Amino acid sequence: MRLSPISVPYRALQKASTILVALFFVGTSGTIGGVVAIGIGAAVASAALAYEAAYYRRFEYEFTADTFDVRSGVISRRDREIPYGRIQNVDVSRNVLQRLLGIAAVDLETAGGSSTEGAIRYVSAERADELQREIRRRKASRGEDGEASGFETAAGSDVDGSGDSIPTGDTETELFSLSPTELALVGALSFDPRLIGVLAFLGSGSVPVLSGYLPTTTALVVTITGVIAVGLLLVASWLIGAAVAITNYYGFRLTRSGDDLRYERGLFKRYSGSIPTDKVQSLTIADNPAKRLAGYATLTIETAGYAPGQGGTYGSQAAVPLARTDRVRELARDIETFGDPEFRRPPGRVRVRYAIRYAAIVAVLTAVAFGVDRVIAAPIPWYGAAGLVLLAPVAAHYKWVHRGYWLGENHLLTRVGFWKRETRIVPYYRIQTVIDRRTVFQRRWGIATVVADTAGSGGFIGRDAAALDVDAADADRLREDLTVRLRSALADRRARGASFTESEPAETESGEHAPDTVENDTSDAAEHRTSDAAENEAATGGFRWIADEEPSSDEEPASDEKPPSDENPSSDGRTGSDR
Amino acid sequence: MNTDSPDESPPPPDPASTTRRLNPRIRVVWILRSVLVAALLAALAAAVGRFVETPRWLPALVGGLALALAVPYAIVRYRRWSYAIRDDALYLDRGVVTTVRTVVPLVRIQHVDSRRGPVERATGLASCVVYTAGSRGADVRIPGLTPEDADDLRETLKRLAIRADGEDAV
Repeated sequence: MRLSPISVPYRALQKASTILVALFFVGTSGTIGGVVAIGIGAAVASAALAYEAAYYRRFEYEFTADTFDVRSGVISRRDREIPYGRIQNVDVSRNVLQRLLGIAAVDLETAGGSSTEGAIRYVSAERADELQREIRRRKASRGEDGEASGFETAAGSDVDGSGDSIPTGDTETELFSLSPTELALVGALSFDPRLIGVLAFLGSGSVPVLSGYLPTTTALVVTITGVIAVGLLLVASWLIGAAVAITNYYGFRLTRSGDDLRYERGLFKRYSGSIPTDKVQSLTIADNPAKRLAGYATLTIETAGYAPGQGGTYGSQAAVPLARTDRVRELARDIETFGDPEFRRPPGRVRVRYAIRYAAIVAVLTAVAFGVDRVIAAPIPWYGAAGLVLLAPVAAHYKWVHRGYWLGENHLLTRVGFWKRETRIVPYYRIQTVIDRRTVFQRRWGIATVVADTAGSGGFIGRDAAALDVDAADADRLREDLTVRLRSALADRRARGASFTESEPAETESGEHAPDTVENDTSDAAEHRTSDAAENEAATGGFRWIADEEPSSDEEPASDEKPPSDENPSSDGRTGSDR
Repeated sequence: MNTDSPDESPPPPDPASTTRRLNPRIRVVWILRSVLVAALLAALAAAVGRFVETPRWLPALVGGLALALAVPYAIVRYRRWSYAIRDDALYLDRGVVTTVRTVVPLVRIQHVDSRRGPVERATGLASCVVYTAGSRGADVRIPGLTPEDADDLRETLKRLAIRADGEDAV
């Protein structure tokens, strides 16, 4: 199948536009003659057109039995086959111009790498929807007869009850749509801090100019101008944030068809994408004091290696920008069925630690204010900043109140933050590694941070599910617990997968999964197993953390008695995979 | 700390699930690296000294201070480092200022590299890097192994990972 023919002039325009604009300015400024400029412009434009025409001719995509193939490239050719089972999201986006021309950009995402694996630029809008639907359909039907081989597909079905809803066509049920009032609220609650950053950047150059005037004015004038400027800045930031949010989330709809969630949004640039529920790594429910007061929250869905709707626009990661808290919880439970959390807070003593930390911040602020007071001639009541110290215990208390973790039947829930409270929901079987961190200060308070790392994409911004500042002994238990629960969850899922294979042995291994070589090696593993298993199991000395040996002996049972209990899930897992 | 385990002997090559330590020579690698950093800092201080009036002994002080901090740090870091391969997971325990204990379930291992950088080659050492699909996947790196040990460890981990059935990688 081919791209839309309109993509040729559109892409050419895209490529050549910067050069043409530059030429326009050069031509009008008189550096080179107008005729020459027009000549160069025409040459550039026709070169771009020729290239894009070749690109159009060379670009082909097609559906095969179990892969989606894309052949592209003018100078260097590239043939790419993407197995249906590996496709995570299919996103369609259209900006204003593209909507006028009736074309759309389609992006296929897989878990590997951060870049888009299949970018189709551009097809007609109808074709884009068709592609999205067809890929979803093929993925689902592949799941039907290849479920055991594609564990990813199997993963989805036990989230929502064993593949009872393999989609056959366009059966879409609407889960959520943003009402106009909610849209207005999204806007009202959005705040774009970028303007402040830009102004601070620009302003840093004008400080010397301003300081020339400063000494001659009085403190009152300085203060009033400052307050007005800050006020205007905040209002402007708020307005910009509102405008961005409203254009982003205009006409937001979340629908479900089979195992996929589908969303649509955007006023000028229209996005639509599908999120397979079986690729969901974690969910985040976020709110802030204002939203909590009004009873609203935000739900973010994270899939492996990629967050849906990453358009580079502000806040576009959110799957549901704003909905009533109970609605959000319901939606989240729809995707991951977790129970009613009872968060376990950090030990009470950490409040003192937080208070000390805040007091230290206040001390720094006071020092800065004092410094400013000395530099500027006008006297500033710098000691006023010290008064903030009274707020430190209050802030510490609220910080403590909103932190916690909970171990559910199948999920780890963590919560953190007062101003931006985030509750993260991670299924045990999505945990990749468990990391226990203790800084010097944490060790002094006898606390630790336990991070459950997933394959989600948010890890870089520190948005991992982390149980912050839990008691040290608790952390040891939690670490072991999470590992054990991960193992038993995996064993469970595999046992289910194995029973599924027995009932339906048809062409399970025929599906080609290029990425997971490990899986293909399982036959090897069976051979190794007999020889190695014996010698490995012979030595079952428990691992002892070095640090545990000296400080306190009461921690040892936590890490020492677990190994025997670990055995069971592991052997389950092996028998399950034996098939 | 931990005086009862044999500090100076290299880790046993067999995949027994005992706590293992790094090769003592890793301290040399770390100290060499810190010597480099100290030299760099001293050079920087000297360069600053050419433009700004600073005491003549400042570069020496900076370099000496950096070394005085780095050498004990390398030694303590070595003593704190340990790892173990157990039946279910790879355990790492390390860190001086911030202690970090990582549990990598064997099922989650995507692939394993053994690596040798220039400094490591000079000292006859190698390291083993374990990748998971997690967002901080390449975080798991075991330095200070002899090349044979690194290869052994890689093979062991690979075998165990396959045995643990490397499905559900994501």
